[in-house]
Amino acid sequence: MIDTLLFLLVDGITNGAVYGLVALSLIVIYTVTRVVNIAQGEYVTLGALSFASALSGYFSPFSWLVAGGLAAFAVLDVADRRLSNSARIRMLLIRSIWIAGVLATAFAANKFPGSYWFAVLAALAATASLGALTYRLTVEPVSGASPIVLLIVSVGVYMVFHGAAVLIWGAEPQSVPPVVDGGVSLGPVFITYQSLWICCFAVLAMAGLYTFSERTLIGQALQATAVNRVGAQLCGIPVRVAGQLSFSIGAGFSALSGLLLAPLITANYDMGFPIGLKGFVAAALGGIVEYPTALVGVALVGLTESFSAFQISAFRDVIVFLMVIPILLWRNAVRPPEAHEH
Amino acid sequence: MPNLRISGLKVGYGRATVLEDLDLSVSPGELVTVLGANGAGKTTLLNGIMGLAPPRAGSILLENEELVGLRPEQLVARGVVLVPERRELFGNLTVEVNLRLGGYRTDASSKSLDRIYSLFPILAERRKQKAATLSGGEQQMLAVGRALMAGPRLLMLDEPSIGLAPLIVQEILRVIGQLKADGLTIILVEQNARLALSVADRGYVLEVGKIVLEGPSTSLSTDPRLSQAYLGGAADYAAARDQVYVD
Repeated sequence: MIDTLLFLLVDGITNGAVYGLVALSLIVIYTVTRVVNIAQGEYVTLGALSFASALSGYFSPFSWLVAGGLAAFAVLDVADRRLSNSARIRMLLIRSIWIAGVLATAFAANKFPGSYWFAVLAALAATASLGALTYRLTVEPVSGASPIVLLIVSVGVYMVFHGAAVLIWGAEPQSVPPVVDGGVSLGPVFITYQSLWICCFAVLAMAGLYTFSERTLIGQALQATAVNRVGAQLCGIPVRVAGQLSFSIGAGFSALSGLLLAPLITANYDMGFPIGLKGFVAAALGGIVEYPTALVGVALVGLTESFSAFQISAFRDVIVFLMVIPILLWRNAVRPPEAHEH
Repeated sequence: MPNLRISGLKVGYGRATVLEDLDLSVSPGELVTVLGANGAGKTTLLNGIMGLAPPRAGSILLENEELVGLRPEQLVARGVVLVPERRELFGNLTVEVNLRLGGYRTDASSKSLDRIYSLFPILAERRKQKAATLSGGEQQMLAVGRALMAGPRLLMLDEPSIGLAPLIVQEILRVIGQLKADGLTIILVEQNARLALSVADRGYVLEVGKIVLEGPSTSLSTDPRLSQAYLGGAADYAAARDQVYVD
């Protein structure tokens, strides 16, 4: 009995770590841009699939697509006639380095098939860049729109990504080898190294994000944009760049959760959506704005899932998604929604 | 040669036009005040200059560079800085972080931080406190300090005295006077005409989106049309005198 309990606990925490990365992505994106990103789970998929192909040495067209999109927007942005020449040169330089980075990591992974870190870098670079592109293409043109419009836009993005993933990688699941085989016996429970790896990596990534947003001026500028958009503009913080950055961070974190999870469940085009929704359930506990509460939510969702999978496995997703109702009721009672200022 | 020259400016929100065909100019180092009753379009004028409410027509030249069409962050980079009426601080960030973010465009050194702290010593005491925990007066000082961190060439202040105790207002005015003495070009929007004219070189009076009066502060402060503008020409002149001139 106690063995089962411990096993479910470990399983739940591992799942929770994965959802935690997605929940943080949702919060970063929502606080800065007011987009409740339904497409968040697709970054999980894209991260896992591009990681799987990079690891197997297949140069997927995904990196080319992202680099091409970046190049197209670089041309549009640099052509902006309101820019001063020095700003134009600086922008051209930054974009070139960016595009070169996406392609260089992809080529490096292609050159050294089976290299874990090159594959991680290639997958993260491409997916995080796709986040920035998505913001530029779908959110910026409707900036100032109501949250419901932004949400519907993200549903459209979800559909496109979902289809694109099938087109690029096919419907066949791809198995991904774990970073290290085997595991460790802790008393009666066997913990795979991959589970430990997921938890460590997730904690490190969260600590990194925390340090970035508390200790660097750019991180503080992101927070400032989240708290007060007008105030940020008046400080000279480019809120469009802040939006792109938040989408990049969000996409990168979700991609990370996807590539960490892939060895446990195999990577396929359909894996991301439920993970995105579970991240949403966890983030909802904190109103999609509070990081610490979201982490509590993540533990709750992860554990509920593993325990319900054990008891009534056919209903595991149903039970997790049902949790959103009591969570929203509780949230409403504790912190009634304020009238928005803008 | 004026530092700032606005001509034919048209600004509005949605379908409503608030300002139409407005001309205004400010010389280098000058402190110009824009007066008017509630709803006259003072804040809209500043939002128009700042690009928060993009102008629909007209031109705004700062030292011969066209500002219309630029985004707020590009204006800040060019030294056009606004202290908004609602202050728009970052409530859950500390005083010091608020100030540092004010210098986002300028890579503000700790030297400029020290300058703000010497202008407003109370902010130095509160540096680790969250902005939301400050009193109204301290928040206004923080808003002014944050704007100064951007290294402005043109500083615009929207009703800095609103809702503040007289002592705090004096403190803010003292700093505005000091900035003017340092040679900064300033536009001060105020409802409190007596206060504004006591520090300004020149003034404009707005009435429902149009400039109805302009001139040096000394002649404006004795002009009976000023108080009429506040009441939209309505009667009860004595009440207006009380509001505008009372000592």
